[in-house]
Amino acid sequence: MNKPIVILENISTGYGTKPVLEKVNLTIQSNDFIGVLGPNGGGKTTLMKLILGLLHPFSGKVSFPSGRPPTGYLPQVSQIDKSFPITVKELVSSGLKDTNPWFPHLGISQRKRLHRMLDEAGLTKLASRPIGELSGGQLQKALLSRALINKPRLLILDEPNTHVDKLFERDLYNWLQALNKEMAILLVSHDIGTITPIVKTIACVNGNLHYHPSNQLSEEVLRVYNCPVDVIAHGPVPHRVLKSHDHKAE
Amino acid sequence: MSDLLSVFEYQFFRNAVVAAILISIYAAMVGTYIVSRKIVFIGGGITHASFGGIGIAYYFGANPFAGAAIFAILTALGIEWIAQKGKVREDSAIAILWSLGMAMGIIFVFMTPGYTPNLMSFLFGSILSVGTTDLYVLAGFGLLVGIIYAIFFRPILYTAFDPEFAQVMGVRVAIFRYMMSVLMAMAIVISIRSIGIILVLSIFTIPQITAMLFTRNFARIIPLAALWGITGSVTGLILSYLLDIPSGASIIFFLTMQLLIIKLIFVIKQKIAAGRN
Repeated sequence: MNKPIVILENISTGYGTKPVLEKVNLTIQSNDFIGVLGPNGGGKTTLMKLILGLLHPFSGKVSFPSGRPPTGYLPQVSQIDKSFPITVKELVSSGLKDTNPWFPHLGISQRKRLHRMLDEAGLTKLASRPIGELSGGQLQKALLSRALINKPRLLILDEPNTHVDKLFERDLYNWLQALNKEMAILLVSHDIGTITPIVKTIACVNGNLHYHPSNQLSEEVLRVYNCPVDVIAHGPVPHRVLKSHDHKAE
Repeated sequence: MSDLLSVFEYQFFRNAVVAAILISIYAAMVGTYIVSRKIVFIGGGITHASFGGIGIAYYFGANPFAGAAIFAILTALGIEWIAQKGKVREDSAIAILWSLGMAMGIIFVFMTPGYTPNLMSFLFGSILSVGTTDLYVLAGFGLLVGIIYAIFFRPILYTAFDPEFAQVMGVRVAIFRYMMSVLMAMAIVISIRSIGIILVLSIFTIPQITAMLFTRNFARIIPLAALWGITGSVTGLILSYLLDIPSGASIIFFLTMQLLIIKLIFVIKQKIAAGRN
């Protein structure tokens, strides 16, 4: 079943009085996997904060046809203070929402869910470690577990492929494609080469938003959409920035 | 040795020891938040700005502690407000409030006619003159902080670590941040009486930094910081009596020595372990 879960209509938003995004329209369907591309400063993160409710629109309307969906959020890893004294267990449980936040101990059902999540992410052995002792990939796994533990219907990821090795990146993309069966995913990246093969559709964000209903981008489309992204192909990940008439890249 | 024990026969010294223990306990809780969030500079701003309140209270013949408390709380809320609105650089704002408070304090103390009693005790503290009422205040405040931490431990931790994510999860981040700011201001002002403006921040930081050599788990840092705070401050107090030196400075000096010695042991252990490999 594919149904709209978030609708942005004619949105302008930004910080203070300065608009970063103008006249943005986007509908996120329940099984979407949207790659959000665009240059730094183009408004990718702003779009994400708007959908998360951290920013309000100057004008236009954000609506949720069946109520605000439970949302998982993975911030840029540079936003995380790795020296903060918090353990993997505590980090992941900070993504639990449904019960009362009072009292230091988690309830039984919450603890069960935490252990299942840690197990699924392969973090059980690291559960009591402070996050400062994790590798880049392990930290991303912990942050992704924090985003997933609340069973979201919408998963928003901001540059999840920074500071991780290629092996982890492939694991991550496999994981995301499996998760996409249960939730909509919005993957923000400035790196077109690595994400186009795994996303279903693409949104180019550069002051405004152009939606491209497939993951095949021609140079012409990029130019017309004014979407000067980095076109880089990495190692084993297939590079799918195609010329207009090429239909199969692999 | 008999010297060492005989000092406990004095009521004033026993009071000072109890005060040092009580301060160490709540400072462990509040200080772990300060050190983890890396906002020691905000603590410095609050502490020094409170001197403005002391000066004004002297001038108008009011209770200097009430003045300090009002200034400290307003400064803490102001800094947090600036941080949340983001219109002025937070560190610049802190520097301005820090020096403005000190300047106002000096001006008003200067304008106050006659002798200003106990001014030095605000700057350097006078833990040896702590009375029973003061102990009740310290214990009451410690209890308050303990209850707040017991009930709100997780939202406090989550808000301190990643406020944006906490907000996405529905935590009332702004309220918790303001609450912790007020708690910080109150903790600082209540400790000024014993430790003094100039040295008070160290009791909120040095035992926590010592504890963080042993663990990087927020909940475990608190009891360890309390322990290192108590050992350091009580030893400092006893030394101040034996050597006849100012108690506040002695406490801070010993807390720092304790940190350095423990750090040194850690470094040597690491060197030995590295040598084996």
